[in-house]
Amino acid sequence: MSYLSTTDFTEDEAFVDRFQRTMKGDLDLSWLDEPRERVGCRPENPRRGLTFRDLDVGGYGFSEMPEVIRKNRSFAPRGAALADGLPDLQADVNRKSEVWAYNVEGYYEEAMTRQWNATTDIPWADLQAHELPEDIGKAYAQLLTFLTEVEMIATDVPAKWLGRLNADFFEVKNFIATQAMDEARHAEIFRKRALSTGWGLMRASAHNEFNLKFLRDADSFAEASLTLHLQAEGMVLTLFRFSEYISPTEGDKKLFRLVMQDEARHVGYGMQHLKWVLDHYPERREAIHRHLDEAENFVFGAVYATEVLEPFIILAGKGLKKENVAEGIRITMAFNLKQTDEYFERLAKCGLPERRDRSRLWKATEMARQSMASAA
Amino acid sequence: MGYFAETDFFEDGQLIELLNQILAGNLTLEWYRVDNVRARAVAADPRRGLTYADCNLGQYGYDDIPELVRNRNSMAARGSVLPAKLPDLGYTINRKSDVWADGVVVLYEEAKTRRWAPAVDVPWAELAARFDRTREAAMAQLSTLLAEVALVAMEAAARWVFSINQEFLELKSFLCAQMIDEARHVEAWRKRALVSGEGLGRASVSAEQGLKELLSAETYPEASVGVNLLLGSFVLAACRALAALADTHADRRLAVLSMQDVARSVAYGTAQVRYHLAHQPARAAVLAEYLDRTEHTVLGIFGSPEFLEPLVLLAGRGQQPAARARGGAFARRWFATAVEEYLARTAAAGLAAREERSRLARLVRASAA
Repeated sequence: MSYLSTTDFTEDEAFVDRFQRTMKGDLDLSWLDEPRERVGCRPENPRRGLTFRDLDVGGYGFSEMPEVIRKNRSFAPRGAALADGLPDLQADVNRKSEVWAYNVEGYYEEAMTRQWNATTDIPWADLQAHELPEDIGKAYAQLLTFLTEVEMIATDVPAKWLGRLNADFFEVKNFIATQAMDEARHAEIFRKRALSTGWGLMRASAHNEFNLKFLRDADSFAEASLTLHLQAEGMVLTLFRFSEYISPTEGDKKLFRLVMQDEARHVGYGMQHLKWVLDHYPERREAIHRHLDEAENFVFGAVYATEVLEPFIILAGKGLKKENVAEGIRITMAFNLKQTDEYFERLAKCGLPERRDRSRLWKATEMARQSMASAA
Repeated sequence: MGYFAETDFFEDGQLIELLNQILAGNLTLEWYRVDNVRARAVAADPRRGLTYADCNLGQYGYDDIPELVRNRNSMAARGSVLPAKLPDLGYTINRKSDVWADGVVVLYEEAKTRRWAPAVDVPWAELAARFDRTREAAMAQLSTLLAEVALVAMEAAARWVFSINQEFLELKSFLCAQMIDEARHVEAWRKRALVSGEGLGRASVSAEQGLKELLSAETYPEASVGVNLLLGSFVLAACRALAALADTHADRRLAVLSMQDVARSVAYGTAQVRYHLAHQPARAAVLAEYLDRTEHTVLGIFGSPEFLEPLVLLAGRGQQPAARARGGAFARRWFATAVEEYLARTAAAGLAAREERSRLARLVRASAA
């Protein structure tokens, strides 16, 4: 049996009596006399409207939120008067530095204003007017199949954590909700595009699926965010940028520009969260390294994901002929180096510059860079 | 850390060999040769764009999802070719009629086109300088309670997404739309409480007890009927009342925009029960029993002093005895109508005889006597 309210309200005579008297205009009004902080929240910039930052005032704001939430264990909005008898919702995460990020309120507001629609914001009719040759069409459909497959991991994982966070962290919860919607839209747009190429969906990737399982099973929100927002989405962001570059049509370039905008926001949250963790909870540093050790193992193993690597080579080289493949390999290698460089750069900016020295992925990348340089 | 790769890839000679082969231009092209089904989705109505309904094609479509999903437990895109070895991602909801609803795809498309942003779509400046303190305090208290309710509605959708098989992509996408809708309501009601200077009111013990019970449903069908149909019906009625009682454009707009979102959840909740019972008729008794014991939660929420008393003050437009009596009469009609509409929806969904079984209906009859 699940949780049952401490009172069955329809059977509680006092409650029903109070209810019926209220409907006759007999009011208690004790809520009206509840001591409260009276604040006037105004839009700092009227063109931006009333933002969460405008609400960052006194006990209602996020700046004054303590590191450890000890009092509110219910759904009460932060700053509301708490009456005795509120239920304990048993949040698992009650420490601000486990979830918070610099500018999380800004990322949320941006997400709300930059929602777009995969159904109507892509020139589908134009895309369908372009008949893709078989090698490009199949390679593109395969890349899109991969993207369809991975997008909603970034819905499922944050959603799993949303209900486990203390209600005082509602700005983070709200941000997670926007991310869930963003990722649903990404899965939608990649699926629709794959199905509109005429080639249908291609093959799922076993290696990537094992990586998704790793992302799903992180032990803490901070670890889940680290590998999901910063590592995985960071790498996907670079992938989107290159995909825009190698896209077969203008409509496809627009598609990647739109998803990039969302992805950049998620990576932004991941970076600002890691920064916050390192600034406020430095004991986590070693746990972060250990989690990244395994995350990078999956990244290196992505060579086995030929369902991603090979179509990328074909799209970059614009075909399957020998010279096309050679050119595709050159561009793809450059992309891989860029992807890894950006990843380590992000970690360094967040306060983890020593990651390069510790990382086997970095060493492998350096070796690849040297062998490319000597081959050139 | 919960899960590790089977291989330490940095020590994997086969991987290096594969990489060298690919870099030499010898692609495997195994994926290129798969025997997949070709498809070409085309927009039926170009003005509407390419909808999910346009992509409902053969094995790729949602109509072809079997009632029991037995062989797809990964995140592989529905209809894609599966390689030999895929992990089990641990989905616990694998039965279509436990989650699906006719029209869920349309509701998802609608959610995207009707998006709004509280920061800019409500003329907040209009509410900045209000002089009727009682009225403002009442609005702030109602907003406090509605923010609590919205947070639970957001979490209700979020807590199930993780467990639902990825084959039900369109349904999961709708739940994501619900999450962002409710995040918007958490935001909007909080802003409404804080904009006029009154500050947040009091969190309601009875409302939160009711909300926790609703959130703790053990199965998805119970959670959906409880949150989308039962709770949603009352939130919809509350937003409609606030729109009717609003004396500013801003308050009316806030209530109307919220109503639009909540109506989608109620529509899904009603259609979900209908679909569920059409495919699992024996479950009617289970859902009926669930509602028998759970309906009391909405009395705890919407019969709480923190909701009902400010509603009486807003409707009566004052604190004088005559105004209170007027407001009380409004609240009585409001509650009776909300119950009536909820019962009509349960009947439309296929839950017969709730009118007789429902303790809420009995309460309305007793209150009218």
